[in-house]
Amino acid sequence: MIWELLALLGIYAYVSIASLLYAGIDRKLVARMQRRIGPPILQPFYDFLKLASKETIVPNTANFMFKASPILMLATTIALLAYTPIGFKPLFATKGDIIVFIYLLTLADFFLVLGAISSGNPYAKVGASREIALLASREPAMMLGVFTVMWALSKHGVEKPFSLANLYEHNIWEFGPMAWVGGAVLIYVFMTWLASEVEAGFFNVPEAEQEIAEGPLVEYSGRYLAIIKLAESLKEFIAASLVVAILFPWGIEMPGLEGYVVNLLIHTAKVFAVLFVAKTVFRAVTGRLRVTEAVNLLWTRVFSASLVASLIIAMGVVM
Amino acid sequence: MILPYLIIIPLLGAFSMPIVSLLGRRAREAWALLISGATLAVAVQVFRDVWNRGTIVYTLGAKSPFGMANFPIRIVWEVDKLGAIMVVIVAFVSFLAVLYSLEYMAHDTGLEKFYTLILILELGMLGIAITGDIFNFYVFLEIMSIASYALVAFRNDTWEAIEAGIKYMFVGSLASSFVLLGIALLYGQYGTLTMAYLAIKMAENPTIVAKVALALFLGGLLFKSGASPVHMWLADAHPAAPSSISAMLSGLVIKVGGIYAIARIIFSVFSPAVNLTTVGWIIIIFACITLIVGNAMAVIQTDMKRLLAYSSVGQIGYILLGLGIGLAAYGTKVGEIALAGAIYHTVNHALMKALLFLVAGAVIHELGTRNLNELSGLAKSMPKTTFAFLIGAAAIVGLPPLNGFASKWLIYESSALFNPVLGAIAIIGTAFCTAAYVRVLFTFFGKPSEKVIEAKEPGPAMLIPMFILVATIIIMGILPWQISEKFMIPAARALWDVFGYVAALMGVG
Repeated sequence: MIWELLALLGIYAYVSIASLLYAGIDRKLVARMQRRIGPPILQPFYDFLKLASKETIVPNTANFMFKASPILMLATTIALLAYTPIGFKPLFATKGDIIVFIYLLTLADFFLVLGAISSGNPYAKVGASREIALLASREPAMMLGVFTVMWALSKHGVEKPFSLANLYEHNIWEFGPMAWVGGAVLIYVFMTWLASEVEAGFFNVPEAEQEIAEGPLVEYSGRYLAIIKLAESLKEFIAASLVVAILFPWGIEMPGLEGYVVNLLIHTAKVFAVLFVAKTVFRAVTGRLRVTEAVNLLWTRVFSASLVASLIIAMGVVM
Repeated sequence: MILPYLIIIPLLGAFSMPIVSLLGRRAREAWALLISGATLAVAVQVFRDVWNRGTIVYTLGAKSPFGMANFPIRIVWEVDKLGAIMVVIVAFVSFLAVLYSLEYMAHDTGLEKFYTLILILELGMLGIAITGDIFNFYVFLEIMSIASYALVAFRNDTWEAIEAGIKYMFVGSLASSFVLLGIALLYGQYGTLTMAYLAIKMAENPTIVAKVALALFLGGLLFKSGASPVHMWLADAHPAAPSSISAMLSGLVIKVGGIYAIARIIFSVFSPAVNLTTVGWIIIIFACITLIVGNAMAVIQTDMKRLLAYSSVGQIGYILLGLGIGLAAYGTKVGEIALAGAIYHTVNHALMKALLFLVAGAVIHELGTRNLNELSGLAKSMPKTTFAFLIGAAAIVGLPPLNGFASKWLIYESSALFNPVLGAIAIIGTAFCTAAYVRVLFTFFGKPSEKVIEAKEPGPAMLIPMFILVATIIIMGILPWQISEKFMIPAARALWDVFGYVAALMGVG
């Protein structure tokens, strides 16, 4: 138990650094794509430290959740790390932990929304309702895909069905040509889901600076903003980790502690690659959709693709 | 034998209340609190006895129910594990409701009648939970019902209380008369009123009369539980009642007088004689309608207590679903999980809906409105109350660290295993339920309106019951599977075990 907690702390420290680092890389790459120099790669760390040292202003219409939600959001994301596959089995992997994973991932967003409406600012409220609309539209596609993959893996006779640990025992590419087609569709589904989860490009709807002035974050400043930014970037890494673990779970067999470290590094590289496509490129080449369009897209294009992929994979497994 | 004190103490409290009231307001409140506290202590002891030593059978007036005959001739009380759970939860929530009423009802008049009625309501519910005699059951059902009619219409200077009271009384009496007619038919056919002995007679000679009686029982008791086509009284009665009473009505009356009674009568009386799959599917159909209608109607309400009332209807749907699957899948693992889930959810829902109604009462008490559109930003001026609501709402939706999760999980799991369509219906119901509560949370955490900004937190007598419930919900949420293994599954097994129930009675002589 104590070792698992220490491991969780270690993972938390590592993922915080890695995810903030990617935020810096992302900004640099986008700048280069637009023929700018861009900020130094460590800029997100400076931003974090500066925000943390700034005065924190609490609006007088805010209630207790305004202060509580950034902390709850970060706490949820840290708890989520214990269930995240990061190159090796999650720390608290157990039967059915996929539900905990999805629940915590959603809960983190829900806390952000709760904090936003607690500020009493109408812009934050608009942003919050957009966030909820997007949340309700994007998660079903992901859930359907994940559950199908988990179900397919459980057909292989895994020890703990519906656990994220299964992803490192078998993967969907072992099921033959039918599943490859389904898997290819799933790549599209999960990449779009990831883009909407990190709210890049098309899906930069809730925070839309130009329209509603940062939406949910409009009233947050100082320490709270730093916490939220950190939690969001952890969540980015976690969401990308899920995509990597489901679609590209390959690592290398190596015993001992260095095996974990090497696999973690390989995983991080894959996460960066996935985020490069779903976040950096996507946000550099696409603009924002309107909220109705984004919701529409997620339900008609992405969810139906997820449904198709699931049916194909299911047929591949059953046949 | 401590069991009779479960009835003696509230009866004494209720009947002496008019006399004690002559000593003044303080004496009356202290007396009500003392009586309900003592009842709670007795209930806990009864629970422990049942858990340690098995089913308790108590005969009124003699050592044995048999006398000179070889069949029971006296009224018996029989408390098995499910009965013991109901006894504890009834006494617990009633105690908190009485405590809450001290401050909440302080501005009303006629309080000696109020406390008399609240103790009688508790008495009726305890009686239903412990009785093993079917006519005695009817008497307690009527005691409970009449006390609740009077309590719904207690604030008789408001039009809606009178309206809701009349509605509830008319249809409620009709439902009770169905039950009475069923009892009359059974007595005419089988010549006995003891539940366990009736089960023997019915197994020997299943007749069409028994089926007609079962239909009448189901009709009457589904009404009392607020199942869907006949839930309309509930949506009026719960908002109109004083909030401490709504907490008891929604948390206890519909469960003890409805769900528990259905479970007891079907399992302990009718199960040897009728086809349980058919009965199970009838209940499942009602459950699915109730689930969808109740939760969907909750989404569109603007009245806070009405929203909670419809949500109660929706949650009754889950409990009925578990019960129905427990019947239709009798003797299998799935059925056992479903029944354990139904019992667990009964307890959980009693706690969380009591909490939510107490919160609604605090809001009404401080602000004088229950229109959700006027309650924007309540979290600013009443943070503790809003926090309690947040916990209650999260628990009722079924979020993992709270108690609603485990019980709903058992129901989802069993319904998905039994028939995936039922699982899907249960999930749809939850989606509606989530939407309803998220909407309320959005209102509460929004920008404070002018009306809300001057509100204050209620006093300790109202906050303490709320926070006792919050603590219970959280603690039960931390140990969900332990509670399920240790209490709910044994209770479900005991309910299934008709032979045990009969043998406990017959073994006395």
